[in-house]
Amino acid sequence: MVNYLIFILVVAGVYALLAQSLTLSWGLTGLVNLGLVGFFAIGAYASAMTTKWAGWPIPLGIAFSILVGLGVGFLVTISTLRLRDDYLAIVTLGFAEVVRLVASNEIWLTGGTDGIAGVPSIVPRAWGPNYHITMLVIVTSLAITVHLLLNHLASSPWGRALRAVREDQVVAAVAGKPVVLLKAQAFSIAAAIAALAGAIYGHYTSYVAPEIYQPLITIYVFLAVTAGGVGRPLGALIGSYLLIGFLELTRFMAEVVPGVTPVQAAATREIMVGLALILLLRLRPDGLLPERNQRAPKPVAVHPKGTTS
Amino acid sequence: MSLIIHRRQLLAGAAAGTALLAAPAIVRAQAGPIRIGTLTPLTGSGGQYGPGMANVVKAVADEVNAAGGVLGRQIQVISEDDQTNAEAGVRAARKLIDVDKVTAIMGTWASAVTTAVAPLCWESKTFLFTVSGADSITQLPHNGWLVRTQPNTTLQGRKFAEFCLEVSGGKRAFFMMPQTPFTQSTFNNFKIAYDKVGGATELLIYDDKKPSLRTEVDQAMRYNADCIFVGGYLTDTTVLMRDLFRAGYKGKVVGPGYSINQKLVDNVGQPEATEGAYGMLPSPQEGSAGWKKVADLTKQASPDPFACQIYDHVNLALMAMAQGKDATGQGIRDNVRKVSQGGGDKVDNAVDGLKAIVAGKKVDYDGASGPCDFTDLGDISEVKFRYEQVKAGKMALVRIA
Amino acid sequence: MLSSIVQALLNGLVSGTILAVPAIGFTAIFAVLRYPNFAIGSLATIGAYAGWYANVRLGWPLEASFALAFLGAGIAAVAAEWLAVRPLEKSGALMMAICSLAVGIVLENMVRFGFGNDPRGFNVPLMRDIRFGDLRISPQQVENFAVALLLMALLWVALNFTRMGRAMRATADNPELARLKGVEPATVAAITVVVGGGLAGVGGMLVALDTAADPLTGFRLILSVFAAAVLGGLGSIPGAVVGALLIGMVEELTVLLLAPNYRTAIGFVVILIVLTIRPSGLFGEKSG
Repeated sequence: MVNYLIFILVVAGVYALLAQSLTLSWGLTGLVNLGLVGFFAIGAYASAMTTKWAGWPIPLGIAFSILVGLGVGFLVTISTLRLRDDYLAIVTLGFAEVVRLVASNEIWLTGGTDGIAGVPSIVPRAWGPNYHITMLVIVTSLAITVHLLLNHLASSPWGRALRAVREDQVVAAVAGKPVVLLKAQAFSIAAAIAALAGAIYGHYTSYVAPEIYQPLITIYVFLAVTAGGVGRPLGALIGSYLLIGFLELTRFMAEVVPGVTPVQAAATREIMVGLALILLLRLRPDGLLPERNQRAPKPVAVHPKGTTS
Repeated sequence: MSLIIHRRQLLAGAAAGTALLAAPAIVRAQAGPIRIGTLTPLTGSGGQYGPGMANVVKAVADEVNAAGGVLGRQIQVISEDDQTNAEAGVRAARKLIDVDKVTAIMGTWASAVTTAVAPLCWESKTFLFTVSGADSITQLPHNGWLVRTQPNTTLQGRKFAEFCLEVSGGKRAFFMMPQTPFTQSTFNNFKIAYDKVGGATELLIYDDKKPSLRTEVDQAMRYNADCIFVGGYLTDTTVLMRDLFRAGYKGKVVGPGYSINQKLVDNVGQPEATEGAYGMLPSPQEGSAGWKKVADLTKQASPDPFACQIYDHVNLALMAMAQGKDATGQGIRDNVRKVSQGGGDKVDNAVDGLKAIVAGKKVDYDGASGPCDFTDLGDISEVKFRYEQVKAGKMALVRIA
Repeated sequence: MLSSIVQALLNGLVSGTILAVPAIGFTAIFAVLRYPNFAIGSLATIGAYAGWYANVRLGWPLEASFALAFLGAGIAAVAAEWLAVRPLEKSGALMMAICSLAVGIVLENMVRFGFGNDPRGFNVPLMRDIRFGDLRISPQQVENFAVALLLMALLWVALNFTRMGRAMRATADNPELARLKGVEPATVAAITVVVGGGLAGVGGMLVALDTAADPLTGFRLILSVFAAAVLGGLGSIPGAVVGALLIGMVEELTVLLLAPNYRTAIGFVVILIVLTIRPSGLFGEKSG
């Protein structure tokens, strides 16, 4: 039981990192990145390929994955700069699919659908339970560090400028904010955080393959951030632990529902996850920890004509 | 074969030692039911196969429990959903291992899930039975903690090609398959067999999420193949068969039994569109009752190969624990080959097998998916194939060879 | 080679027309309610099952089955809209989009709970293609094509020549102004959601006719639906049609000229190029 809890906490820590990434791009800057899992995948591959095949030391591999995340994030921003939020959402969704397809089909580069097994671990797996405990310490401290850095950034002038861009790009531009640069910075740094999460997860589970990086993961992170509170780094952090905790809890809840087949129990679990989010949104539309400086009561998306309110 | 004999001698030597070492574990774990876990895809793209697999294991456990259980203890099956996703699968496996303390996890389907779950299993001394197709799985450093009942691609690719050559009588085959961890290697082995007889073959990897594959089929038609191998799963093969029929394709169609089966015939609807198509699946000797048993359990005249394979997983797991008098993963690891191969009373289900073991007899299990003899690596060492053909809208046995 | 390109374009035209139906549904909901409804995939699945139920279990002809697919998905859509999404109106479009994602998960799994994962085939005869020289076309796909065209024509008539249609367009153009003119936004929203969800349902059934209905029928479709709607310009119905046709044809040409396994990827590359030149898509609103 203890091993299971430790493992769940490590996974939740990885989700917390992803949630911090989403908080920066979506929560603070208003850029909807539905391709989050694509950056997660890129980070995992960058570190796995360099450490397993090129024999790089792991810290170097992880640093490289952050750089690659930063670079690809920047490329994606400059090619989507002029897009409205809802367009960006769908284009990034496509980006994640392209990443998965390239990873599956370019066998010479990525090893194809077989993936890369035996990715070196950060500390020896042979330590047994201590391996997982050490990883828990590493992942948790990483999540907290990234969280503190993000908190710091969020309350800095830069963070306030990002919020200004989120609330109204035109006003922000008129006020002299370098909107394009701010967006590119936020999106690239967010991509780098997701890549870091990917690298860590890859080294932890020692396996990287295209089929791991499905849209399901992006959806889960969005649920975590929404539940915790969009725009509040602490909300995203707590939301991730709650999400993974709830996902695991539904396992035990589904087990006690009498007279259902395994597939019905699995469906029940997912229904519970969906319903929980719907209820949460209904009862606390701003998440469990709402952003402290309340946003203006208008939609986040910038629409050319009119609003829904 | 020599490998196996060698292995058996080794095992015989090691058995005494392990029995001693395992003794305290037996005492400790004596109370309560013996737990085994299924980790099959109940949601996601593998969802068409996973539910039936979980049901087979439950049904076998019920029969064994009714006959008195294993080592005097009842069997409890815990079924988790891997969501056809490695991340979710790993969490589910962790729960099965640490919370339920299962002795074995069986039925992992997607190769990515199996590869991700395997290290957890061998580190926690939980035995893993898988149906995944990627050759790389048995090459993991699993140290005997997993076996795979799906034939490897060297064997399958060659068998597929030989059968295509035989039924078409020609030498041009078009090979259509979505991208999977065994696509390239299956095709490579397929091609070797065609090259050997001076034939020609070409691979087309298609996107299995598309509702229409007309242009892909046009490519196949232009190739003027006398045989088309369709290597996908049920949903995409349905699309492919319909589009091949519309295009007026007249040659032979051969595919794996998990997609060319009764469900495909029913899905496609139009009888002529699937008439004459061949399906191949790993199989035991002719007359083995295992296959028939799974057909009864799943209420299907022609059960899919994954249901057959997981039937073998659960039977082997239960008999191995009884054989070693050790209801742990270690017990399964050390004894699975003692009940699966090496001669003895032929049994095809756990109830009979357990009786024989209790009576002190050596058993040799022949299951629903084959004779279930494993190499050191955990691959099956030999298997026959069951060749079926759609005749008048029903799957008809051509032969077993 | 030329004939094979023409054939691929023809195939793309047919698959694009089918894609256009759910894409119109998606874009119509966006036009009036101003949020991308990610439940559209699950709504398509519900339509596929409703159609299957009518056709196979009840033995209805296809025309009536299409009607049930439309109704089933439309009712599910409006129920979800009222129970889950609409209360979030004040929290903004993205919260509504996230909520629709959750709705999609719930709906898909309700289908799975009730029907399991086994694919359900329709009871329709399969016909050989008709040949014109080197080219071939499937009578069935011509029928599907006709159904899709008919729906689009009906929608066009409804939007242009009925009071409610004009109200919908007015609301899409400017909700404030529409309200001043006495259009009841709640009614317009409800009808839009029924029609949008219903179209998704018909799209799901059109696809299932050629494949089979299973809980993932809609999920397999959504990437292409989103792509079509974005390419044409979110909120523009003609845009969704043109976008779907383009995506259909580009995907088929990819199979022929590049690599079949990159069908979806090339579609997105095209979108990126088009959006770089026209950030609001082909028919989208210019500002933004």
